[in-house]
Amino acid sequence: MTQSLASVVPGLYAHNEQGELELTGSFCAACQRYAYPRVEHCPECLQPTERKPVGGKGSIYSYTVIRTRPPFQLPEPYAVGYVDLAASGLRVFGLFHPEVIEQLRIGMPVALEEIPLGINNDGQPCLRPVFTPAVKSDEH
Amino acid sequence: MSTEPKVFVAGIGVLPFGKHVERSVTSLAVEAGLLALRDAGVAPREIGMGFFANVLASRLFGDSTLGQNVFASLGMNRIPVVNVENACTSGSSAFHLACMAIRAGECDLVLAIGAEKMCLPQMGLLSSGNTDPDTLLGLVTPASFALRARRHMQEFGTTAQQMAQVAVKNRKHAALNPQAQFREPITLEQVLNSPLIADPLTRLQSCPIADGAAAVLLCSEKVAKRLSCRIGVRASILVSGSYDNPQDLARWETDFRCAQQVYEKAGAGAADVDLVECHDAFTIAEIMHYEALGLCAPGEGGRFVESGAAALGGTTPVNVSGGLLSRGHPVAATGLAQIAEVTLQLREQAGARQVHGAKLGLAHCMGGDRAADTKSATIVILAT
Ligand SMILES: [Zn+2]
Repeated sequence: MTQSLASVVPGLYAHNEQGELELTGSFCAACQRYAYPRVEHCPECLQPTERKPVGGKGSIYSYTVIRTRPPFQLPEPYAVGYVDLAASGLRVFGLFHPEVIEQLRIGMPVALEEIPLGINNDGQPCLRPVFTPAVKSDEH
Repeated sequence: MSTEPKVFVAGIGVLPFGKHVERSVTSLAVEAGLLALRDAGVAPREIGMGFFANVLASRLFGDSTLGQNVFASLGMNRIPVVNVENACTSGSSAFHLACMAIRAGECDLVLAIGAEKMCLPQMGLLSSGNTDPDTLLGLVTPASFALRARRHMQEFGTTAQQMAQVAVKNRKHAALNPQAQFREPITLEQVLNSPLIADPLTRLQSCPIADGAAAVLLCSEKVAKRLSCRIGVRASILVSGSYDNPQDLARWETDFRCAQQVYEKAGAGAADVDLVECHDAFTIAEIMHYEALGLCAPGEGGRFVESGAAALGGTTPVNVSGGLLSRGHPVAATGLAQIAEVTLQLREQAGARQVHGAKLGLAHCMGGDRAADTKSATIVILAT
């Protein structure tokens, strides 16, 4: 089933050689600058950038559980936040896996997955990238 | 002080914020404009240029370039009219452009009007637009501020009670403002026990929507002498976000940068400010603005409101109008209504909510969301 669904934003993320999911951003070799979401030209030097993974693993910088009526048929409630990616140092916005919203803590290690979640702009069910705890957290 | 041409507030007009079910955006805007003209005692043919701020009419009603309709209805056809959309700072951006037109010597009287009609069933939560990946990943405005609140609590020990106190304070102020939408006092318990919308923020910590309109008429020094206007624009600053990554969600760089620029331009500091109207879209936002505006040290915003310093009678009263939290937030009218409130205070015409002896006031607004930053921030300093 997962195979037949498209990503909510084509090209937003991809699997790396290890089979792990990473967000796809861009990199300016001259400025040594990553960007996510991807930009075509580096805002610093205006040279064309190269497409580059910016990472899928990191730690939670901040999070919140949203309890208003969700957009795009996301679950109610759903959780979002900012994750500091280890590979690029970028702080990126993302969803958290709906099953872990009660476990979220600042500093928690997380990794990216893709799951069927909600609908896209055309009203079609789609895949979304979600961060989920990188290690099973049984400790409290 | 600089020798650049001075700008003065000649007139203000604000409609009560709330539900104006029977009226159009244009009708609300025209009335606010009329009030400002009457307040100044100026005829429409004297106005050299018009700016009209609106955010939602294109989305909700399919309308565009409404500004020309508004100014034509007020007897101001033929003159240059510019429509302004800058999210929540649309009104204050229109004001900023009006100041620039006068400073440039283009005209002596410029009218800025902002109006919004948004109390409609089809009005959902505001977002950055449906093509933004963040929006598609579930970013809604309350979440942006909840994520800041979480960091502020973590880093500075700010408490849920301190945040809730902002809502209690602003509602207490609103009871003194006949034009505010919500005037019933609320308690700390009511604020904290209202439904969570994006934890830790509850519904009563989020500004309600409203229909409304506001207008500010600006003039040159020459006209100010004729009209006996004594409220001057000491500085008006408009900046955009840096969008630097990573953004520090507990110390809002764009907010601090805007404040630093406005104080520099005004030749004034936080200690000179007698009152502040700021963009309290959410309680945590007001706390962060205290810090950016230098009313307290970074990280001390929660303790600042707790001390009573931001209440009417405190060291620097903030949002004595009731703020967005109690007046409601008709997006494009808000920025101009804040400037009108500061003007009223400096004229000593604010009635029961008057900040006695106010000589210098500040209106602060922010709007839009991009890359964990605001897209637009404005600060205006007015003084007698
Ligand atoms: Zn570059």
